[in-house]
Amino acid sequence: MSPKAVTIVARLAIVLAVFGAWELAPRIDLVDIRLLPPLSEVLATLAQLLSTAKFWSHLGVTLGETLVAFLIAVPLGAVLGILIAESRFASEVFKPLVFFVFSIPKSIFLPIFILLFGITFTQKIAFGVFSTIFIVMMTAFAAIDSVREDHLRVARSYGATMFQTVMRVYLPSMTPVLLEAIRLAMIFNFTGILLAEMYASREGLGNLIGAWGQGYQLKELLAAILLVSAMSILFNEFIRYYEIKCEHWRS
Amino acid sequence: MTIDSAHQGAVEVSDLNHVYGANGQTRKVLDGISLKVESGKFVSIVGPSGCGKSSLLMMLAGLTRPTSGAIRASGKPVDKPDPQRIGVVFQDASLYPWLSARDNVEFPLSLRGVDKAVRRDKAMDALALVGLEAFAENFPHELSGGMKQRVSIARGLVQDPPILLMDEPFAALDEQTRISMGDELLRIWDKTRKTVIFVTHGLSEAIYLSDEVLVMSGRPGRLLDRVEIDLPRPRNLEMMSTPRFAELRELLWQQIKS
Amino acid sequence: MSVEQRARIARYCLVGALVVLWELLPRLGVVPELFLPPLSRTLQALVGSADEFASHLGVTLYETLISLVFACGGGIVFGLILGASAAMRGLMLPIMSGLFAVPLVVLYPLFTAWFGIGEESKIVFASVYGFLPTLLGTAAGVQTIDRHLITVARSMGATPFQQIVRVYVPATIPTVLSSLRLGGALAIVGVVVAEMLTSTAGIGFLISKYRTLLDSPHVFAAILLVLFLAITFDLMVQSLERRTLGWRRSLRSNELAPSGAGH
Repeated sequence: MSPKAVTIVARLAIVLAVFGAWELAPRIDLVDIRLLPPLSEVLATLAQLLSTAKFWSHLGVTLGETLVAFLIAVPLGAVLGILIAESRFASEVFKPLVFFVFSIPKSIFLPIFILLFGITFTQKIAFGVFSTIFIVMMTAFAAIDSVREDHLRVARSYGATMFQTVMRVYLPSMTPVLLEAIRLAMIFNFTGILLAEMYASREGLGNLIGAWGQGYQLKELLAAILLVSAMSILFNEFIRYYEIKCEHWRS
Repeated sequence: MTIDSAHQGAVEVSDLNHVYGANGQTRKVLDGISLKVESGKFVSIVGPSGCGKSSLLMMLAGLTRPTSGAIRASGKPVDKPDPQRIGVVFQDASLYPWLSARDNVEFPLSLRGVDKAVRRDKAMDALALVGLEAFAENFPHELSGGMKQRVSIARGLVQDPPILLMDEPFAALDEQTRISMGDELLRIWDKTRKTVIFVTHGLSEAIYLSDEVLVMSGRPGRLLDRVEIDLPRPRNLEMMSTPRFAELRELLWQQIKS
Repeated sequence: MSVEQRARIARYCLVGALVVLWELLPRLGVVPELFLPPLSRTLQALVGSADEFASHLGVTLYETLISLVFACGGGIVFGLILGASAAMRGLMLPIMSGLFAVPLVVLYPLFTAWFGIGEESKIVFASVYGFLPTLLGTAAGVQTIDRHLITVARSMGATPFQQIVRVYVPATIPTVLSSLRLGGALAIVGVVVAEMLTSTAGIGFLISKYRTLLDSPHVFAAILLVLFLAITFDLMVQSLERRTLGWRRSLRSNELAPSGAGH
């Protein structure tokens, strides 16, 4: 078996071992069954939830908020980021500020959003945008800086127009970085939305998770955690697949 | 067993073969290399890129084990690094950035647990040899490329090994520095009369520095020829424009091309 | 005047203007005081309730420090191991980076169910929160170290033990420091967020308490306190990093942008 296949099998083995432990530990009384229901029961609960209209309405709210915030934050952040990075003066002024704000934990500003917007759909979207926009800007900075100087020089020496430069040099160079921006943006965005819902909300997946936690409904809680994890990982790997495919355009 | 002075510093390679295998494919890197280098000689090894000259040097240094064949230095076999017998200078000076120049030169001694005062003296002597005592307390990032390489040489010589191996040590330096470093190296060699095996890409450099030039062929690496450099010593830059120099250069070039 | 200098002045003016606006806009009624209390009122609240803030700050600090030990300690140690072995890397890294995408906040209710709403759940959460990014950052950093440095040590007759202690460890110091910075920032965030969600003590708890009381000056004061904590920690590590600044640069290429902080 080739070394690559061995690695994949080994990785699968690790994952299966973890799931296996989850299933067995509560059953053989290694762990209190009330604190950690076996995996099979959790999965059954998940299936049950996914067949409930109520659950779907909550899930829909969360996905809606995530999508809207994403669709606002990414273009806005990208445009702002590009505008700043393209101007030498603006870069010098704003980049350090953006870096600084990025390194501040933004979750602590959530209560301010609630003071302003109350506990509404809008508030969550606003917080989602706030959580996401800075990473998008920073990735835009990196993207602009990463367009290789020599590629640009070659294009210019051949008399390429602005449009051609954008299409033939900037875009292929920037695509993997843009994909990475989308990937990271979604991580921050989804986290922000869920946090806002967990903190103070009347509906949404985060709200359900918080309620189940407080009510010691561990099967439902773990089911929701699995669902959230699955969604995030799938999206992440999906984008990363294309990121890797485009990576070779740059070199 | 005592080592007589003629043997001290002699290097002997017998039928060296090396096969490199990765991902189920094997590649013959070195093919039947045999050579002898007399004690105190300055010998260069030249050859096209990828001919295995660096691999050969790694084996002479004891860092890689050949698939088959034997290497002897100072009459004893080489099977692992032995810095008291064989000093090594790499292309990349590879000084440790968190240590000063002097600490870098002391490093091999400190690995052996040599006493602090003794270490210091030996290191300062080695730095004096390469003309850098004034910079002993400076850190690598404060030194130029040529200076870093000189510290690296001092480090290789600090234990006074009879043999010094150098793997394209001046390749990363600019033309000007390379020439002055060459003269510097010859000055040090003249003073210490070590056996030097010098791997390089530059034919002129090889001719200028050496007593003999060994020519290697491309993959797999084979020893094609041994050219004796009969230019008088001490060498000076004017020799590079003599007809004899050009002849030698042409001779080597022809060998490599084939 | 150079571009940098003009930009620096512009930045100071910008920040100065923001501070002034912070004071004026609410006072002039342009922005409701509920949303943005004047800076002076915020500072007043901070000073006025200094005792309360101090005692809760103590709780937060305690939880943060312990989480730091686990998150950074664990993250750095495992990151060093992972970074050193190509086999381990190939095996574990994809799993770890895959997990990175999961919003870890959803684990907090699980921890409160398991450990209660006291310090333990916060420490566990913040440790988990900081662990993965620190590990990824350390592993990545270790990979940028020049392998040749070890070869050179071998050529000087270093034993494997000496190779690790005399070369590998010093060479990884820059990575360790930057991981410390990252892990610490995440530990602080993790603790405060957990305190905000479900808690009876800590700065995060104060933020939530005053929010429900609609006491904006106190909310902002608490937030300022958290920022102060985060910035102080960052500056402390930065000063450590500065001591190794000279030789760090020659060890490897420029620092990468932070990857996990900012939640």
